[in-house]
Amino acid sequence: MGRVQPYISPQIHHKKRLSPRQIIIFIILALGSVLFLLPLWWMIATSLKSMQEIAQYPPTFIPQEFHLDNYIRTWAAAPFTQYTLNTLLLSFFAVTGNVIVNAFVAYGFARIRFRGKKIWFSILLATMMIPGFVTLIPQYVMFSKLHLVGTYYPLIIPQFLGSAFYIFMLRQFYLSIPRELSEAAKIDGASHFYTWLRVIIPLSKPALATIAILSFNGAWNDFLGPLLYVNDESLYTLQIGLQSFRGSVQTQWNYLMAGSVLVLLPVIVLFFIFQRYFIEGMNLTAGTKG
Amino acid sequence: MHRKYTRNILWIVPMVILLLMTACTPRSDSSEQRADGKVEIDFWTFWGSETRRPIIEKIISDFNASQDRIIVKHTYLPFGDIWTKNLAAVAAGNPADVIINDYANVNLRASKNQNTNLTPYLQKDNIEANFYPELWKNVLYNNEAYALPFNTDTRMLYYNKTAFKEAGLDPNHPPQTWAELEEYAQKLDKKSGDTYQQVGFYPLWGDFGIDSWLINGDNGQGYFDDNNQTTINTPGKVDTLKWLLSWQDRLGRQTVDAMKAEFGNGQSDAFISGKVAMYIQTGTYNTQLEEFGKDLDFGVAPIPERESGSGHWSSGGGFVVEIPRGAKHPAEAWEFMKYLTGVEAQKYWAIKNFDNVANMEAAQDPEANQNPVYKASVENLESTKLFPIPLSAPDYKNLINPHMDAVLLGKETPEQALAAAQQDIQNLMAQNTK
Repeated sequence: MGRVQPYISPQIHHKKRLSPRQIIIFIILALGSVLFLLPLWWMIATSLKSMQEIAQYPPTFIPQEFHLDNYIRTWAAAPFTQYTLNTLLLSFFAVTGNVIVNAFVAYGFARIRFRGKKIWFSILLATMMIPGFVTLIPQYVMFSKLHLVGTYYPLIIPQFLGSAFYIFMLRQFYLSIPRELSEAAKIDGASHFYTWLRVIIPLSKPALATIAILSFNGAWNDFLGPLLYVNDESLYTLQIGLQSFRGSVQTQWNYLMAGSVLVLLPVIVLFFIFQRYFIEGMNLTAGTKG
Repeated sequence: MHRKYTRNILWIVPMVILLLMTACTPRSDSSEQRADGKVEIDFWTFWGSETRRPIIEKIISDFNASQDRIIVKHTYLPFGDIWTKNLAAVAAGNPADVIINDYANVNLRASKNQNTNLTPYLQKDNIEANFYPELWKNVLYNNEAYALPFNTDTRMLYYNKTAFKEAGLDPNHPPQTWAELEEYAQKLDKKSGDTYQQVGFYPLWGDFGIDSWLINGDNGQGYFDDNNQTTINTPGKVDTLKWLLSWQDRLGRQTVDAMKAEFGNGQSDAFISGKVAMYIQTGTYNTQLEEFGKDLDFGVAPIPERESGSGHWSSGGGFVVEIPRGAKHPAEAWEFMKYLTGVEAQKYWAIKNFDNVANMEAAQDPEANQNPVYKASVENLESTKLFPIPLSAPDYKNLINPHMDAVLLGKETPEQALAAAQQDIQNLMAQNTK
């Protein structure tokens, strides 16, 4: 920390006197945060209300009675423990698969010269342009012909087959790592694999953490994938479980919201733990700062 | 150093593969023979709520116990998405054996080879006469049935008896005609300054949209007649739109929009919270009133008619049971569907849910009819119309709705809107039948 001190702008030293501009910015930011937090609060408040109170008008901002039992009843209404384990399992494979495979492939695109590299890279990027809904049914038919529908394989295997977006993101990140570092390793006799593992990977932690978070989030919140490929209710995930509170006639808002709060918690916790990496990793030009 | 790390990472690969193998062993194919020689069929529904799931599962277990040849396995899938999954499964050739689906698109699914023609089964046991004719009409494609009606619903006028008494109205005499409805609504309005404490009635709040009113005001005639000819631009529909506009003019568009914004989220309810004294809703709305509106003293009545004798027309929907195309055990599926739509199962469904069932004998069962609202809804079915979708205009709503919005916004007159909508639909149909 001490090393950085000379660069701190003089303004920060005089913290007590905020300039009017800073006050305005502060107020705008505060209002913005409230705006963003409002839906979250609404979700929590609804999750604590009784259905009678939800049906009331005007709606109450703070629940009149706190029904913490909503949470217990939500958990009991469907086999949520099983669903959580199932979702965790799928998320685990999504994170492992995406981090390892994409980090590996991106190295090739960033550091190795080979024939047709540009074309391959363009093809890879082009796959991002295809909307998911177009490939939904063909992919389902393919997995069905492989007799894998009804298992988790269709949800796990694709996680190990690379994702264009993650590869692109990591390639950009690798490119910002000075070439001298990998060249030095090369001169010392390191193979590509060794350079990747010992030079590039340690420097890419923020980007890899970002991918871990994004792929965890993707798998945790995936609804359509498990819906399509899983037939047995004991293999259902949290997102499908939540939908059981949503009927054709009536929605049990309090349970739906209580369930949503519970499902959201791990994502929030994870985000706060990896927040520092996350923001750094999204910055594609961050380079070797870490 | 170098070697050690390499070995470490190489060790991860087989570990991951091993985990993959153990994590998910494929489910045995349902078309395989069971050990006890019974045939297992898969039944997909979207009834997973605390209330409905036990009801449907009781019906299934009753069926399983009633014979020794077929075992039905129930799978819950979320409402709406269940049909996305069905679409993929039909395309891949491994669908469920029986599925709950909607009335409106039975014919479309039939034309796209997504469900199974039931004619061979109906020739053996003809159960057509068990169902309401209006519902049966909606499971036909080229005059052949591709589904069996399961349940249905109908919309009625709920009115707040306490508010009636306060306004000096007879709580046992709900409005019968549009004129009476207007007269009552004005008496029920409660205003302080420019804001309404209570609105007597507004036709488009609740569960009765413009398309429903157009049926009600046009002698029960929807957008298409039985021969799929457009009946959009009719004098009855022009009058209905004008009448709907007059309500908006009376309350002011601001009041209408504000209320819609307040209650449009589906959480708070305008009728339960006493903001509206008369409200159109389905029969099962009754269970919500019993649960959340405990102190509410209310009555139900048929939808008022345009003029005496024009008919208390209402609109309905509901769901059918069908066999997705490519199902492995259609004969066994049929046996189960017959049970599901039979008197016993339908009676149980009606009594437990107060949901309208498609089987006429079950619907009129005295036990369920002890509930006055349910009884009223069964009577209401006689004047309830569904919204069939012609094959040549599957997305007709996208063409009609903008015109209806334009009318309410004052951008088009009712005459202009209906003429234009009819023209648009006819063009679409001509294009699609070329």
